[in-house]
Amino acid sequence: MKAPPFAYVRPATLDDVLAELAGGDAKVLAGGQSLVPVLAMRLGRPATLVDINSVADLHGLAAVSGALRVGAAVRQRTVERADAARAVPLIGMALPFVGHRELRSRGTVVGSLAHADPAAELPAVAACLEATIEVAGPSGRRSVPAAAFFTGAMTTGAGPDEIVVAVAFPTARPGEGFGFAEIARRHGDFALAGVATRVRVDADGITDARLTGFGISDRPVSRDVTALVQAAGEREPELRVATAELATEVVDTAGDAHGSTGYRRRLFGVLAARELARAVRHARRSSEEDPT
Amino acid sequence: MTLPQARPEKVAAGESVAITMTVNGTEVTVHAPPRVHLADVLREQLGLTGTHLGCEHGVCGMCTVLVDGAAARACLLFAVQCEGAEVVTVEGLGGPDDQHPLQQAFSAHHGLQCGFCTPGMLMSSYDLLAEGPMGTALPAEDLPVEMSGVLCRCTGYRGILAAVADVAAEHPEGLPGPRGCGARTLVGRGTARSRSTADAPEEEPRPQVPAEVRLPAGAPSATVEVRSELGVPVEKAWEVLDDFHRLAACLPGAELVEVLDEHRYRGRATVALGPVKLAFDGLAQVVERAPDEHRLRVHAQGADTGGSTTQADIRLHAEPAPGGGTVLQAEAALFLSGRIAQFGRALAGDVSRRLFEQFAVAVEENARTGRATATPARPPGALSLLAATLAARLRVAVRRWRRNR
Repeated sequence: MKAPPFAYVRPATLDDVLAELAGGDAKVLAGGQSLVPVLAMRLGRPATLVDINSVADLHGLAAVSGALRVGAAVRQRTVERADAARAVPLIGMALPFVGHRELRSRGTVVGSLAHADPAAELPAVAACLEATIEVAGPSGRRSVPAAAFFTGAMTTGAGPDEIVVAVAFPTARPGEGFGFAEIARRHGDFALAGVATRVRVDADGITDARLTGFGISDRPVSRDVTALVQAAGEREPELRVATAELATEVVDTAGDAHGSTGYRRRLFGVLAARELARAVRHARRSSEEDPT
Repeated sequence: MTLPQARPEKVAAGESVAITMTVNGTEVTVHAPPRVHLADVLREQLGLTGTHLGCEHGVCGMCTVLVDGAAARACLLFAVQCEGAEVVTVEGLGGPDDQHPLQQAFSAHHGLQCGFCTPGMLMSSYDLLAEGPMGTALPAEDLPVEMSGVLCRCTGYRGILAAVADVAAEHPEGLPGPRGCGARTLVGRGTARSRSTADAPEEEPRPQVPAEVRLPAGAPSATVEVRSELGVPVEKAWEVLDDFHRLAACLPGAELVEVLDEHRYRGRATVALGPVKLAFDGLAQVVERAPDEHRLRVHAQGADTGGSTTQADIRLHAEPAPGGGTVLQAEAALFLSGRIAQFGRALAGDVSRRLFEQFAVAVEENARTGRATATPARPPGALSLLAATLAARLRVAVRRWRRNR
């Protein structure tokens, strides 16, 4: 399948990128691993593709002041292999599930967020970690919390004349633990259901627990589950009872040929309990290794 | 990492541009318009037909090549993006007289049946093993997942995995480089312009609109059921459903093209969802209208120029709720075919559901104020995919009905 015709430009600066986007009916091309299939299937016909790979400012990847900042042109594989990215363990847990090696070599972290597929892993990571998404547009720059950024299936808070320039993931602190899992029909396929978890402990016990589900609604759905995890700890059977109840509330995706709503609820409940337990164990270990 | 050189002058859609890159160690300049992907340039302009094309949308992995040292899908990369890139194809990995160890191992383990996926498998496994322990020290049970990015339709995976495991064990510190990348002249069609060049933006014929809506037999691709409570009496809500102008105003995104007869309407709906933009031409047919029971049933179908089609059976039912309000029940069975079906997944149902929820809110507002809601200022993103189409059909139907009364 061949893409429909489009005009192409590869500006050297962010200002030039914004000028091209202001022209209307233009799409940002970073890795293209989600956009190009859309074009190939003729599901979209943007007039212009604006390739951002020559903009040096968008290639930044660094951990600064408590956050890992990933620029819009940074490939998933680069993040997978970067020492700096180990400061955010949840990204390392999620990236192997993103497509395949051959797609992560081109696909970008920020591109996954901007595409906002409801079954994608990285938007869930951003939502679970309460990451900050930096958007630039004609009226300047603004920072959007992940919770407000994903507004629906493949729909975000970034306008058509704006570009996501970077995402900042908070780095893990001692006493934090994480979990991540998904079930898909085949490796690299879209998740039927998946979860990301973050638990915080201190000397007195569990202080915070957060659960994000993906593939279960039209966007990643996060819940504060502190009370639930404080009551059940890392005992999976007890967590299961609570997460099964939660599943009826948060899983509202329609069923399809690959799994009914009920099946996805069950997947979500089981994965959530398992990964919350894992996060509790990790959090306890990390607080022992490095007491605050 | 070196960045690709900027190309600040915009290349027009049909315009062929010169692209210089290194392919298997040789610098080449090709000419292609922006829409031509790397695999087509390799095959059609450089004669490197070892790179195969299967799905052409990134799923099958047949076209896997190395771009700047990393495996990538040559069908998901436009040639124009590859200015200055270093590309290695299976021909560059090794030739019949000087095979790369991976090629020897595939031969020794009979890691192929029909051979169509072999170039993709070789380039993918080279990428996995080239850099040493990260790939070569992989536990045997993880190898199938790491090699899952290329599909073998013969299911001859055992030989392939055995070959890759063998080479990994022999070269724990990484593989020897590609053998066929010495300077040479690339034959094939040279740097001649590809046949697809200069194609002026193509015009596809708009699909024909059928005379009758026929729903397919069998299970629908997705079903949607939305119950909404409205704070208006059922008679008021039904007035909106019954009045096609008002109902139409509650459903965003459609345009009436032609009234065919009392029950059949031709319309058009534009759907936008992220990068997805579809324009459906279609037909809607009111098959049941029961004012006493406050029921309306519409069959609809639409086709997009890209070859996607969608059909729907939509039922709306308003009934009194305790306390003087209304429960509006919307049920839709969606049938998808063509490319949209490959893309759709549960998305179609999810998006439709949100659409019906918004629809219900609009009905309530309309019933209260008695006026048409203004077209929402937001882009039609949140309300779309198929649902928008279907709903749009309904809206069109509704409008026409009204006109005919």
